Amino acid sequence: MERLLALWVEALSSEEPDGSTLRDSLTLLDALSLLCPFSELVRLGLYILPLRGPSRFFGGEEAVMKMVRETVRDVTGHEVLLGVADGVFCAELAAREQRVVAPGATDVFRRAQPLEALGRKDLATTCRRLGLYTLGSFADLEVARVGERFNKHALELHRVARGELGELVGQRDLRLAVRLGRLRGEREPHHEQLGLFGPRGAGDERAFAAAHRVRRRLGADALLVASLRGGRVPEDRATLVPWGSPLVEEGTKAPWPGQIRSPSPATTLAHPVAVRLVDQHDTPVLMGARGMLSGEPATLLLTHYARRTVLWHAGPWPLVERWWVLGRRRAYLQVVLALGEAVLLVAESGRWWLVGIYD
Amino acid sequence: MSGYSYEHMFVFSSARPTLPRDLAASLRPLTLAKSRMMPLGEPWKALVPGGGLRRGSTVVVEAAPGLGGLSLALSLLTASSANGHWAGVVGVDDPGVVAMAELGVDLRRVLFVPRPRGAWAESAADLLDGVDLLVVRPPSRAAHGVARKLMDRVRERGTVLIVLSESGAAWPLPAELSFVVTDSRWATSSRLEARYLSVRIAGRGEAGRAREHVVVLPNRRGQAAAT
Repeated sequence: MERLLALWVEALSSEEPDGSTLRDSLTLLDALSLLCPFSELVRLGLYILPLRGPSRFFGGEEAVMKMVRETVRDVTGHEVLLGVADGVFCAELAAREQRVVAPGATDVFRRAQPLEALGRKDLATTCRRLGLYTLGSFADLEVARVGERFNKHALELHRVARGELGELVGQRDLRLAVRLGRLRGEREPHHEQLGLFGPRGAGDERAFAAAHRVRRRLGADALLVASLRGGRVPEDRATLVPWGSPLVEEGTKAPWPGQIRSPSPATTLAHPVAVRLVDQHDTPVLMGARGMLSGEPATLLLTHYARRTVLWHAGPWPLVERWWVLGRRRAYLQVVLALGEAVLLVAESGRWWLVGIYD
Repeated sequence: MSGYSYEHMFVFSSARPTLPRDLAASLRPLTLAKSRMMPLGEPWKALVPGGGLRRGSTVVVEAAPGLGGLSLALSLLTASSANGHWAGVVGVDDPGVVAMAELGVDLRRVLFVPRPRGAWAESAADLLDGVDLLVVRPPSRAAHGVARKLMDRVRERGTVLIVLSESGAAWPLPAELSFVVTDSRWATSSRLEARYLSVRIAGRGEAGRAREHVVVLPNRRGQAAAT
C-alpha cells in the first residue's frame, strides 16, 4: 500500500450555499498539483498525495509537509491537519491525529484504532458486546465468523481492518470529480487570440488597421499579440505570437510557463540569460539532487563584471513536470538584489538562468 | 469640442453635486463613451487628479531600472482595458504577459511591438491611430522634436501616451501627469509577497501639486492596490 500524505482542511469540508467551498477546493487542488501532480481530492476537506516522489525531490517528508502547510495557508488561509500513513483510510486517521506514522508501522497504527474509526456505529456497538474495542481485535476475527455474525457490509470493513483494503467505501465522494471537472470547464477559456474571433467593433477595426501599418513598416514578426490557450488557470499558457499567425501548437513550451505563484515578473525573458549564483566564498551554488541548494546564495553574477549582492531568496520550487519520472529537473528561485530589484531564476542542468525581472 | 469645457469642469470639480446612486449608475455608460477621461483602476483613481487619464495627454512614468516602473505603467491600462479599450506596448522587450493578466489587463486587446529596432517613434505613431492607450519605453533619451511630434499626434488623436522613462533618460517635454517612483521595497515571506512603491504623482497646474503616495504594486495576487 502506498505511503500517503493526507490533508484535512476542516474549513473546506462542508459546502457553502454560494458554492465557494467547491471553488476554493479546486483552487487548493490546483495549487497542490504544482507540488505533486498526483494530488487528489478524496472528498470535501480531504486531500491526499503520494509522498515518495515529492519527498525525494524536496529532500524529505518534513520538507514536503512544510511546503504543503504553507501552500494551504497561502491559498486558502485555513489551517490544515497533516498525517502520513499507508493507504487512504489510515492516512486520514493519521491526519486527524496529526501524526506521521513511521514507514512499516501502519499495521500497528491501524490495529490500535477504536472501532468507531470504521464509521459504523452499529458495528462498533455489536463488537463492544463481544469485548472487541479496537480494529486489531476485530481484524483478528475469522472471516467466516464475521460473515455469519454481521451483515455483508461488515465483510468489507473487516478487510479494511485487516489492511487488505486501503480505503473505506464511502470515504471517497465519487461525484466530486465530475463536479470539479464541470467547474474547471466553466473556468477555462476557449482558444482565443486577440478578439479576432469575437465580434468586431469600430475600435477593433481601427486597431487592426494600425497593426497592419506597423507590420508593413517593421515586418511580419514585429507586431505581437498574446495568445491565450486553455490551461489550468487562464494565465497558464499566455505567450506572445506574431499577429495573424496561426495559434501556437500545443506542446510548444512557452519560455514562461506561468507556474510560479503570483506576483509574476513584469519582464519575462524570451531568451533566458545565463547567470551564476555563488555563496560568500564565491563557491557556485547549485541545485542538489534532492532539490535543495548546495549553499547560501550571496552574490548573483549577471556577467563577468556585474556582481550583485543577494539580499534574500526563496525557493527552489520545482517546475510542474513529472520530474521523478522524466528525470528532468528544473526549479525556480526568487531573489531580491541589493538595490531592491527582484528577479526570477531557473536552475536546469546545473546552471542558473535569469528568466524574469520584477520591474 | 463644444461640450469639452463643461465636462472638464465636471470631472475636476471637487464640489460637484452628488447624483442619486441609481441615476448615476444609469448615466455612466453614456458619460464614459463621451468622456475625455480614460478610467483608472485601483489605487490610481483615488490618487490621480481627476481620477482618470485625460485623452490626448501624455503621462510620464519615471523609475530606476528594475524598481517597478514597468509594472506601474502597465497598471495604468487596467480599467480602460477592462472597458474594452485597446492598448499598445512599444519598446518593452519581453513583456510579462502573465503579470499583465494578473494586473487585470485584457490581453485580447493589446498590441505589442517589443523590438521596434530603430523605429520606436514611428511604430508608436503608427499605433497611436489604432489604440486608446500606448505605453512606450524609448531605448534612449528621446529627441525634442520626436517627442513634440508624438505629443501633437496624441493630442490630435485623443490617445493617452504613457512614456516609461528609466535610467535617467528623461522625457524632454513637460507631461500632463507624471509618476516618479522614489522608493521600492519588497515584503517577503516564504516568497515574494508584495512590493511597496513610493510614487510622487504630479499633474499640471493647481490641481496637480505633487503628492507622494505609497502603493502596493504588485500585491500577492499580482495586482495594484492601495496600502
